[in-house]
Amino acid sequence: MSNLKTTMTGYASYRGREGHYSFLLHRITGLGTALFLIIHILDTSFVYFFPDLYQHAINLYRSTLFGIAEVGLVFCVFFHGVNGLRVAFFDLIAPRLWSVPKQRFSTKITLLITLLMWIPASAIMLYNMLYHNFGWFGG
Amino acid sequence: MTTNTRTIQKPKPNFETKSWMFMRYSAILLIPLVFGHLILQDVIVGVHRIDLDYVAIRWASIGWRIYDALLLAFAFAHGVNGIRQVLNDFIQSDRGRKIMHWGLFLLWLIVTAIGAIALIGGVRPIS
Repeated sequence: MSNLKTTMTGYASYRGREGHYSFLLHRITGLGTALFLIIHILDTSFVYFFPDLYQHAINLYRSTLFGIAEVGLVFCVFFHGVNGLRVAFFDLIAPRLWSVPKQRFSTKITLLITLLMWIPASAIMLYNMLYHNFGWFGG
Repeated sequence: MTTNTRTIQKPKPNFETKSWMFMRYSAILLIPLVFGHLILQDVIVGVHRIDLDYVAIRWASIGWRIYDALLLAFAFAHGVNGIRQVLNDFIQSDRGRKIMHWGLFLLWLIVTAIGAIALIGGVRPIS
């Protein structure tokens, strides 16, 4: 248990600003995506193992609660992907560019690209949810 | 004046180095695969238009099956290895890590096998 406390205290109290926040966000979004991925592989495999139950799983995903979670999931994947590409670029192609000012700048660009992708995507997903679940826009 | 030179042999990459490389190379592959999957299925098609028939039509094309096989193989291995790297921060004893590594390996193997069987077997009709 002391390991858990030491690690969590380190996560919370380390003051590395942008680099630290993007490290934490990368971990949280990655874990969230991975946990969803386990469920998603299993529910999709219903089409072969339990085809009668597949529609029940899909109906769950169509609910409002899961619709909101889906918007969050898309943020997780977009941020994790764009930030992962940033890390892979610096590690594999340009390790000489790892410096504090460049990290601060590139984390901000990462967040900007993520939001530019996520905001229109979530607008379309919310439109679909309001159309199908609440009868808005003539649905 | 003579210059002393010392050659250092590059150490052979161990498992952690290979896992570190795998995360970055698979990331580059996963960007088009996962972003494409998300934009197509969640945004353009939407969950309200996905059902058993949709999956059957999609998997009738071998190209989409290969696409999904690549997603299953790379995304899930990337994910499970990521969970392993996070848990390595919290579990420091050799014994604990060994149990965690084997547990995650089994999880990866079983879930990947289930997904692969469904992907190869395809959509079965409702009885």
